[in-house]
Amino acid sequence: MERLVRHNEDEINRILSRDDEILPSSGFAVSVMDAVRREAAAPPPIPFPWKRALPGLLAGGFALALVLVAGVVAMVQLGRGATAPQFSVSLPSRMTPILGLQHNLAGAASWTVLALLLTWVSVKFSMRLASGRV
Amino acid sequence: MSASDDQADVERVLGGDISAFEGIVHRWQGPLINLAYRFSRDRGRAEEMAQEVFLRAYRGLGQWRRDAVFSTWLFALATNLYRSELRRIPAQSTSLDDIAEPADARACDAGLEERDRDSAVRRAVWNLPAKYREALILFYFHEMDVPSAARSLGLPEGTVKARLFRGREILRGKLPQLLAVPRLKEA
Repeated sequence: MERLVRHNEDEINRILSRDDEILPSSGFAVSVMDAVRREAAAPPPIPFPWKRALPGLLAGGFALALVLVAGVVAMVQLGRGATAPQFSVSLPSRMTPILGLQHNLAGAASWTVLALLLTWVSVKFSMRLASGRV
Repeated sequence: MSASDDQADVERVLGGDISAFEGIVHRWQGPLINLAYRFSRDRGRAEEMAQEVFLRAYRGLGQWRRDAVFSTWLFALATNLYRSELRRIPAQSTSLDDIAEPADARACDAGLEERDRDSAVRRAVWNLPAKYREALILFYFHEMDVPSAARSLGLPEGTVKARLFRGREILRGKLPQLLAVPRLKEA
């Protein structure tokens, strides 16, 4: 068995060691050197303007953080508001303002989601612009 | 091919003499195209990929650390590019199941030409899962030198040995009759 495995391995080695060799086409080196010269002649790529973009990025990050915090606060308040109906059974006169608050919070949450979506789209679009794919 | 020639050419290119890169191209075009051909089995694509390697090498010459031989750096660059290119646009391949296996090894012994058998083994290698195929290609390209294959792949030698072992196991399982022919002759 060991002999068979050894033999198979030798056989595989023998076959794969003598793979077909191909020769480069006659114009290959010239074509590579043309591409290299074009590359050398091309102006260097414009670096991303970090200094200019930094204030905008910081402001954007700050705004995003604010939106996130506002969203979390809104969710927490919405969660508290959900417990309100327990009281509303015994206190029907207080139900209207609680429902109003819930309505307002739902509106705030949808605005938050919309803002997050817009931020995501603008970030994606900027990245595509920066990478030159647009 | 001497390492000092490479180093001298690299220094000249980095010093602004672009024409010195031609020496690097002339020395390494054959090996790089052949390596690309083993990955793609397509001559045109092999030359395109090799050209891209030379361009990337030109752009990144400054990143070559002199502690490694230039060819090691170049082959690692090439291997990386060929692997990612073939992941992006896979080469056309035939299914392993499409490889004809004779029902009877004796029939194989009688009828199958050695060339056909070699071709079947190569096709079987080509149809292996990428990680085993790449290890095998690099191992045989570097004339069965595991450390060189490992450096080109950027993997530990142990990992490459394990992949070679597993790749050969799959080959043996897929081509039992083809590889067993000489055994019958011996018996």
